[in-house]
Amino acid sequence: MPFIEAVNLHKTYRLGRVDVPVLRGVDLSIEKGECLAVLGASGSGKSTLLHLLGGLDRPDREPTARILHEGRALDGLSARGLDDFRAGHVGFIFQFYHLFPELTVLDNVVIAAMVRAGASYASVRAQARARAAALLDTAGLGHRLRHRPSELSGGERQRVAIARALINRPEVLLADEPTGNLDRATGRRILEFLEGVRARERTTVVMVTHDPSIAERADRVVTLEDGRLARPA
Amino acid sequence: MYQALLTRRYLSSKVMPLLASLAVMLCTAMVLITWSVMGGFLERLLSAGRNVMGDVAVSWGTIGFAHADDLIARLEKHPDVAAAAPMIETFGLISLPGGRTEPVIIKGIEGSSFDRVTGFAEALWWKPVAKPLASDQEGVDIRLRDENRRVLGRMHADGLAMMASPDPVSGRDWPDPRPGVVLGIELSRYNIRDGDSGTYTPGAPIVKTADGRSDVQRSLILPVNGEVVLNMMPLDSSGRPLGGLDAVTRAFPVVNEFRTGLYEIDKGTAYVELSSLQRALRMDAARRIVPRPQGERAAPAFRIETDPSTGEERIVRTEQEMIDDPARVTHVLVRAKRAPAEGGDPRALALVVRQVYAQFADDHAGKVPAAPGTVLAGGHARIAESGNAVAIRTWEDQNRTFISAVKKEIGLVLFVFTFISITAVFLVLAIFWSMVSEKTREVGILRAIGASRRGVAFVWLAYGGVIGLVGSALGLAAATVIIRNINPIHDWMGKTLGLYAWDPQVYYFSEIPSRVVPLHAAIVFVGGVASCVLGALIPAMRAARMDPVRALRWE
Ligand SMILES: Nc1ncnc2c1ncn2[C@@H]1O[C@H](COP(=O)(O)OP(=O)(O)OP(=O)(O)O)[C@@H](O)[C@H]1O
Ligand SMILES: [Mg+2]
Repeated sequence: MPFIEAVNLHKTYRLGRVDVPVLRGVDLSIEKGECLAVLGASGSGKSTLLHLLGGLDRPDREPTARILHEGRALDGLSARGLDDFRAGHVGFIFQFYHLFPELTVLDNVVIAAMVRAGASYASVRAQARARAAALLDTAGLGHRLRHRPSELSGGERQRVAIARALINRPEVLLADEPTGNLDRATGRRILEFLEGVRARERTTVVMVTHDPSIAERADRVVTLEDGRLARPA
Repeated sequence: MYQALLTRRYLSSKVMPLLASLAVMLCTAMVLITWSVMGGFLERLLSAGRNVMGDVAVSWGTIGFAHADDLIARLEKHPDVAAAAPMIETFGLISLPGGRTEPVIIKGIEGSSFDRVTGFAEALWWKPVAKPLASDQEGVDIRLRDENRRVLGRMHADGLAMMASPDPVSGRDWPDPRPGVVLGIELSRYNIRDGDSGTYTPGAPIVKTADGRSDVQRSLILPVNGEVVLNMMPLDSSGRPLGGLDAVTRAFPVVNEFRTGLYEIDKGTAYVELSSLQRALRMDAARRIVPRPQGERAAPAFRIETDPSTGEERIVRTEQEMIDDPARVTHVLVRAKRAPAEGGDPRALALVVRQVYAQFADDHAGKVPAAPGTVLAGGHARIAESGNAVAIRTWEDQNRTFISAVKKEIGLVLFVFTFISITAVFLVLAIFWSMVSEKTREVGILRAIGASRRGVAFVWLAYGGVIGLVGSALGLAAATVIIRNINPIHDWMGKTLGLYAWDPQVYYFSEIPSRVVPLHAAIVFVGGVASCVLGALIPAMRAARMDPVRALRWE
């Protein structure tokens, strides 16, 4: 059984009266521990696919689609169940880091643990803070825990975002052009950091990019074209 | 959890919400100050009555009714009644030594029974005191001074007895104690009230004794041997002026002064010893000669008789009758065992008094006025006012129009101010609306890391709640400080800006009420917090409804 299985994903955005089909029957299966790269032109629907896989959005009702994580169907989950799924099983990483500007670096990481633990956070507080500090330390930010995101460089911010995505030990990391906003050298360091993390934490990674040279580093590459997946030539 | 973290961080890094807090502070402070001052005014108005007339008064015009002793004895047997006292109330003119003549309400009382009903001993101003008044922080009160202790002690005893003892030092050289008068402290205008300390200093020049010390006894209240002259109009038991329209004039030495805090009363009332007032007004026990009644109609006192033998007409007296007229009083004042402040209800006591009076009137049928009936009003029995029965009234009944006007006014002002405070709700709404827009992407991140819609809404509600808490707490603190010091603040405003908002002539009390009722503070506090949460509600719902994907794409 594949770790993640997506069958017949359709996603249509409605712009006024016009339907804009973005995904038109995507089938995808990902093995546990695999690093998959999704290539595709801008606007091809890569982010959309990632959001569907992470349960941040739902595919069209018609025709029937399925997304299974270790055999568990996301469409069977309630809104609340989907929230909990995101909190516990998925880590999102975005191109523009998406940190909370008012929180310190440490709190930006810890907040994901807070969201996950909910009312019982008090009992895991010390553990969560220790793990956040350790993750930031491996990211080379151990001395900047009290800084604000605005005081960090782009690469440093992305490392904070990766630490946040990892704090709850997710089974899958969904990275949406994690290096898209960085220069080549910094981007490479981020990718190396992600690879190190993947090796250590044994997470499955799905990474979206439009840069074939980055996709090369993945175990497998798929390409989105016309709303469907195609093997690269 | 994360809501608390975000709220804390937002609070310390954003200026707009602090402005909202400030608005909430101003609104809560405004409402609480108004409520405290007006509510305090009402409360004082209601409780001041106890120092003037006890809880309930039985009264029968200016003519008065007899057998008050019996009524008092019956009343005092009732378990709800703490004490009862006779009183005569009449109008007159007072001539003060400076040549000033003022209209005055003259009340005849017995010091000791009046004290039991109204706490008269406490109301007497000139007495030795051990502790300065709360408002007298510098201890300027001359009653605190040791050298005045002995004199003040005697003045207090004299005041309570309503008798001026002879005293060679002050030049009072009559042989026995003489009935005296106790004036309201604002009446003579010889005392200068100090607004800051709430104390009085005799305004008459302080007389020095031979060894150079100030002679307080000679200087207090009125100049040496101060007497005032009371002019009043006696009426007979049927209400006709006695002795034509000539006023009765009596001079009384001033033995002390009293202060109830009710400016109108302190400025316009003089207490005289009861029996001497009875005598002056011819309300004491007397034997009256009246024409013997002929059938239904009262006979004229004289009739013209024609001598049958001479045919001459002459004037002869009709047959006469001697009637024993017992002493009369116009009021019997009753004090309840339980003060209104402790949950006692003067209205309930009035009904008790009515019942006792009805029995009393039965037993003295034809000799005392009838008892009033009762009516049902709003599901409660109330005493019916009627022209041919005695009036049994509480303080609130006596001042009904005024007190209910004050009550209505408080409700109205609070309504208006609360309505104005709704601006705060819209202010919070507007500020939060723009903050939610500004933080759309963060809402998206929260959803991406697993926060529920409800959790996101709660971020904003908690934030609104905290702003409400901060604003209301500051508002309450500010209001408390202002209310506690409202009198000094008012005096200061008067002195430096010429702004006097509180006129004792208008508001009855010489001081502005300065107490915060904890319950009112709690209500205002909860209201302040609730209005902020209410203001945050719509923006919070908007944040909760956002599509996380769109929120993340937000530029
Ligand atoms: N909420 C939306 N409403 C309408 N159209 C949308 C919405 N979200 C995405 N789209 C459209 O769907 C298409 C795919 O968007 P998506 O963000 O998935 O592309 P992408 O492959 O990630 O592009 P990029 O490489 O530029 O990030 C785009 O044409 C976009 O305009
Ligand atoms: Mg994209």
